[in-house]
Amino acid sequence: MSEGHDDHGHGGFISKYIFSFDHKMIGKQYLTLVMFMAIVGGALAMLVRLQLGYPGMHAEFWGKLFPTGMSQGVMTPEFYVMLFTMHGTIMVFFVLSLGPVSGFGNYLIPLQIGARDMAFPFLNMMSFWTALPGAIIILISFLVEGGAAASGWTAYPPLSAIRSAIPGSALGQTLWLVGMVFFVASFTMGGLNFVVTIINMRAKGLSMMRLPLTTWAQFIVGILGLLSFPALAAGAILLVFDRSLGTSFYLPEGMFIGDTLLPHSGGSPLLWQHLFWFLGHPEVYIIMLPALGFTSDILSTFTRRPIFGYRSMVYAMLAIGFLSFIVWGHHMFMSGMSPFLGTMFTMTTLCIAVPSAVKTFNWLATLWKAKIRFTTPMLFALGIVSLFVTGGLTGIFLGTNVVDIQLHDTYFVVAHFHFIMAGAGLFGMFAAIYYWYPKMFGRHMNETASKVHFWFTFITYYGVFFPMHYLGIAGMMRRIYDPNTYDYLKPLQPVNTFITICAFVLGASQVIIFVNYFWSMFKGKKVESENPWSANTLEWSTPIEPGHGNWPAELPDVYRWPYDYQHPDADDDFTPQWEPPKKAAAK
Amino acid sequence: MAENTEANRDTKHGVALAVTLWAITVVSVAYFFKYDVPELASDRGAQDSIYYVILGITGFAYVAVQFVLGLYIWKYRHRDGAEGSYWHDSHTMEIAWTVGTTVVLVPIVAWGLMLWQDVKAAPPEGDILVIEAVGAQFQWDMRYPGPDGEFGTWQPELYSLDNYLGLDPDDQAGQDDIHLTNQMVIPVDEPVRIMLRSRDVQHAFFLPNFRVKQDAVPGMQTSVWFTPTKIGEYEIACAELCGLGHYRMRAFLSVRSQADYQTWLAEQSAAN
Repeated sequence: MSEGHDDHGHGGFISKYIFSFDHKMIGKQYLTLVMFMAIVGGALAMLVRLQLGYPGMHAEFWGKLFPTGMSQGVMTPEFYVMLFTMHGTIMVFFVLSLGPVSGFGNYLIPLQIGARDMAFPFLNMMSFWTALPGAIIILISFLVEGGAAASGWTAYPPLSAIRSAIPGSALGQTLWLVGMVFFVASFTMGGLNFVVTIINMRAKGLSMMRLPLTTWAQFIVGILGLLSFPALAAGAILLVFDRSLGTSFYLPEGMFIGDTLLPHSGGSPLLWQHLFWFLGHPEVYIIMLPALGFTSDILSTFTRRPIFGYRSMVYAMLAIGFLSFIVWGHHMFMSGMSPFLGTMFTMTTLCIAVPSAVKTFNWLATLWKAKIRFTTPMLFALGIVSLFVTGGLTGIFLGTNVVDIQLHDTYFVVAHFHFIMAGAGLFGMFAAIYYWYPKMFGRHMNETASKVHFWFTFITYYGVFFPMHYLGIAGMMRRIYDPNTYDYLKPLQPVNTFITICAFVLGASQVIIFVNYFWSMFKGKKVESENPWSANTLEWSTPIEPGHGNWPAELPDVYRWPYDYQHPDADDDFTPQWEPPKKAAAK
Repeated sequence: MAENTEANRDTKHGVALAVTLWAITVVSVAYFFKYDVPELASDRGAQDSIYYVILGITGFAYVAVQFVLGLYIWKYRHRDGAEGSYWHDSHTMEIAWTVGTTVVLVPIVAWGLMLWQDVKAAPPEGDILVIEAVGAQFQWDMRYPGPDGEFGTWQPELYSLDNYLGLDPDDQAGQDDIHLTNQMVIPVDEPVRIMLRSRDVQHAFFLPNFRVKQDAVPGMQTSVWFTPTKIGEYEIACAELCGLGHYRMRAFLSVRSQADYQTWLAEQSAAN
């Protein structure tokens, strides 16, 4: 059905590397963009930590580097607010969504389902070329007067709606909203492509219940994106109207800002929160589910064991995906929303703990009686299991509304989402890079450097984010420029300094993967086998460097599920999906 | 199968990972004994009780799962000739951990929701102390009803530089209202209700020692009530990003004995 696409394999430079229709190239383009955005987002986090670790530190050097933000060599509060706002925005949308979903989703879906390309290759190209302007607009917003947006990544109005409320609420906030609309458009095109491709273009014999869990995750993510992101787009456009056309969707009467009484009336700031979190919560799972899929596939490959409870893993992801649409109000327990809604959202939120626990236990059972090979992707996958447990358990505190009263908007929340969402997303991306790199570039990454990267990242990740639980319990609020303003937070400064030191090591150690990624493209050891990990999924049946169309001859047929490791009847310890059954005994 | 030297070489990373996981678990749990919630000064001790119970349950799960994860990583690291297993499905076990997790969670949710009910219920009937707190970039303006026990009315359109609370100047009830900035004084052991509003962006009224937090939203009236139980001086914080001065939107809460409070109130009214 997709044979039509395999004829534009060898075009010129532009059609091959820039306006490519090939899902593999588009996936790589996304990953390159993600790496660049990750440098920016990571650098912003380093500056945030600089201020929190050493509040009010004076250095002439900074004044030269950031003439407005650190004019006297000391960071200003408005610069600080802009830093964490843009750190969150860039990381959540342009790194953790674009990387595992748009990057690896595009790269892997056709390869794992035995298709020659995505269902709509042109739309796929358009999707990248819509995301890129979105990213550029977000980056340009740093350069405009007033600086980039400074209302948090959640952009709550009135702060994000009123130009005089904070310097970043000038042109920077408008660009933020416009960039976000581009992003949503790109993501919606991608989601549509994912769903249609997976439903229609699976190889012969590849039923839904034989899909690798990575592809299952991308399928669910595609649906979540299609249903939730339009709410953000609509919300963002209404906010642009409030900002520029004088409407009052989010703005009530009686706002006295900058010595003037504003003429708005009739709107409600809570409307934005509902629209934003209606996207915002599924978004968390959009980031996480692919990582959980990668984890399952990588665990299975390197334990040389079938994934335990395949069906329950699929049902758990479907349950998480469904529940993600009815829990958004747990971000709004303190917002003034009706307490009855708070009751409802606590019940739905804690339901998510059940499928999450099922996944964890299934992973542990996969490790039981395994023969674990500690490759770098496996180390990161095991890291995800650990982070997922740590971050998942703290969700029980925050989901229970009465406990959330004390912990809401404190560093406990920051710790929670950096373990569960950011941790899974980031480690998932690392695991995926190390695992699929031989397929992507026909070369291996440097093994020693990869392992060093894992160890620095894993240990300092705990070092940075675990102590944030203590800060939150002790009552330290999020988003404050200097906790030492409060007497009761002063004793916490050593914790903040410790976190900052760990963060600098964590940040610096990411240089290793950047260098390794690009260096290995040209200098890495060449891959000698089509299937270097002895894995079962279809992408490993393509040639070492697959062309456009993926399989040179016919598409593979599928005879089994993807997790036949150590099958008692098999000669080898793995039986790929494309291997026909033995003549006599069909399975 | 031929000996896989790479797999053998990598096992040292597995051993190291197991030990690292155990070490992280021990150290991270130990510090929970050092860092605790701020000293309690209100009648909301039940919120602390459920917090500690959840901390105990999740703490146990955290230690158990990280320990088993480390153990399996250690025990099942690659070894030449080790026996493998194709076992990958157990209906019984799937049911067990689904039901098991549910059974642990249901009482937590039920208890939590009962406490939520108590906290969010209407304040006690009768003559209870009501104070208004108005959030604004970057201060908290407090208003007491004064000797007549009644607040003067306010209108959103009356906000101005001279009338930062939007009070109706013709309302007699407002003439004796007491105004304070960044300061609140309340009597111990008496329920107090705080009516919250904002005159610009969103703020959140956070009393770390009292287990109280509530957003102040422009265009909306929100409120909280609680009973202070300890005399002392405490801090009031803003917990919702409200602009560049969010971090310094700090105020003071003084809990005094009934007698001291009455003296203070009389002084304030006299000064008015």
